[in-house]
Amino acid sequence: MGKGEVAVGQESRANENFDGASRIEARIGALLGDCIQVFRAFSELAELAENLRILSLNAELAAGRAGDKGRAVRALTQYTRELVNRLAQVQTETAGLMSHTYGLTAAILREHHQHALIERAVGAITAGSGTMADSASRRLEEASVAMTGTLARSVERMVEYIERMSARTRAVAEVVSASDSIATNIAIEAVGAGLHEAEFRTVADTMRRYVEELRTIMEQAGAAVRSAVDKGVALQRINRSGRMPAARQGVLEA
Amino acid sequence: MKCVTMFRQGSHRWLAVTGDPGSGGKAVDTNQFVVAAGNSGMLLDPGGIEVFPAALSALTQEIDIDDIHYILLSHQDPDVGSALPLWRRVCRPDVTLLVSSLWTGFYAHVDAAAEITPIPDEGTRVKLGEDVTLQLVPAHYLHSAGNFHVYDPEARILFSGDVGAALLPKQALDTFYVTDFAHHIPYMEGFHRRWMGSPAARDAWVSLVSRLDVKVMAPQHGLAMRGDDVKRFLDWFAKLELGSGVAAMRAER
Ligand SMILES: [Fe+2]
Ligand SMILES: [Fe+2]
Repeated sequence: MGKGEVAVGQESRANENFDGASRIEARIGALLGDCIQVFRAFSELAELAENLRILSLNAELAAGRAGDKGRAVRALTQYTRELVNRLAQVQTETAGLMSHTYGLTAAILREHHQHALIERAVGAITAGSGTMADSASRRLEEASVAMTGTLARSVERMVEYIERMSARTRAVAEVVSASDSIATNIAIEAVGAGLHEAEFRTVADTMRRYVEELRTIMEQAGAAVRSAVDKGVALQRINRSGRMPAARQGVLEA
Repeated sequence: MKCVTMFRQGSHRWLAVTGDPGSGGKAVDTNQFVVAAGNSGMLLDPGGIEVFPAALSALTQEIDIDDIHYILLSHQDPDVGSALPLWRRVCRPDVTLLVSSLWTGFYAHVDAAAEITPIPDEGTRVKLGEDVTLQLVPAHYLHSAGNFHVYDPEARILFSGDVGAALLPKQALDTFYVTDFAHHIPYMEGFHRRWMGSPAARDAWVSLVSRLDVKVMAPQHGLAMRGDDVKRFLDWFAKLELGSGVAAMRAER
């Protein structure tokens, strides 16, 4: 094979990698889109948690006024506040996760673009007639290996973030289910509460409305998380298939 | 892109990497320069990130990348140094990065890991090999607030950054030097009127450069000027009305 043929082969390899890289960039962009959906859903939690907290305070006052007939409702409202705290905790954790995810995505996209340009330079140098290119070629090769390694690790980290988002979604789903049964129990207590029946029923109905809103939010977040998991797994597969060889360096700074 | 040898005397060389980098016509064309002497060289304004593959390939036809000991960033613009993280990947690990002290913190947005040596406002000198000392001369406010040009008294070449820059049609880039100064003026005029804002800085710069013995003036965009065209440029620039953008702020709204 003549020198020219090698050069053409190398150049087309670089172009192929560049096209492949832009496809990967598109996948990462879509993955970020899913994550944004999840974060948007979680951002609505704060207001709902606050509404739920105020409702539980009002319900507790009503339970106090009902005396003995309100004892069970009072216990239920205390449990509601625990759930509210759990929601607030999920929200705080998600805020940290969100800034890490944005930082990591930006770093991955930047590194990917730079890697594509390094590959292009490899192609350009091989296609050119440079006689002084040995050091540059060696360093480009080293850079390429290091960058693919960093990228591989970063994709793994991204998948880890998505798994954490998924866990938060499950935590909120548990709150939804617990709140739902609290609402049902308050409605049952309302039946025997005599004068306070209407008041307790209103609490139960309002709580059910909040539970419905929570459920809608979590369905949206859940769908986005599932979609993100699929994309993350696909990226991992590309990564493990050798397009992004084994990690050598640390994860990209998020 | 091609690599042109502008000057050669023993191991002392000026190389220019010019021409369309194939960035699809969106990015403004830039010239990248290397001054080398002995086994030591300085890369002047390495260029934008999209230019990197073509520029590196062209450069390595003439020089070993290990001979680049310094990278000068004349100012902060993306066409000057957004490829910095990539050049650092291929250059020797101890390459010295030079930029105005105004911009060191700003370059961290381009390349957070880069260790940058700040150039003080008055400029500095850098020795290449045994016999060549480059002068990093201040050109502040032309157009950037922290801006340096490079003068080589041996070769009598001045790298003038955006001063003397011309925005040319692609076919005009086939030549390297201006051949008809009067014909070249329209390609420079709008750019200098709009991008250069300070007559005081311009006057100081013209005075400074007039005291140097400049045979060739090589800007970051467009064509280089040599011989009498350098003097023609200084005379033309000295009289040019600058700061055309100010009119937009005076306009009635
Ligand atoms: Fe500029
Ligand atoms: Fe420029």
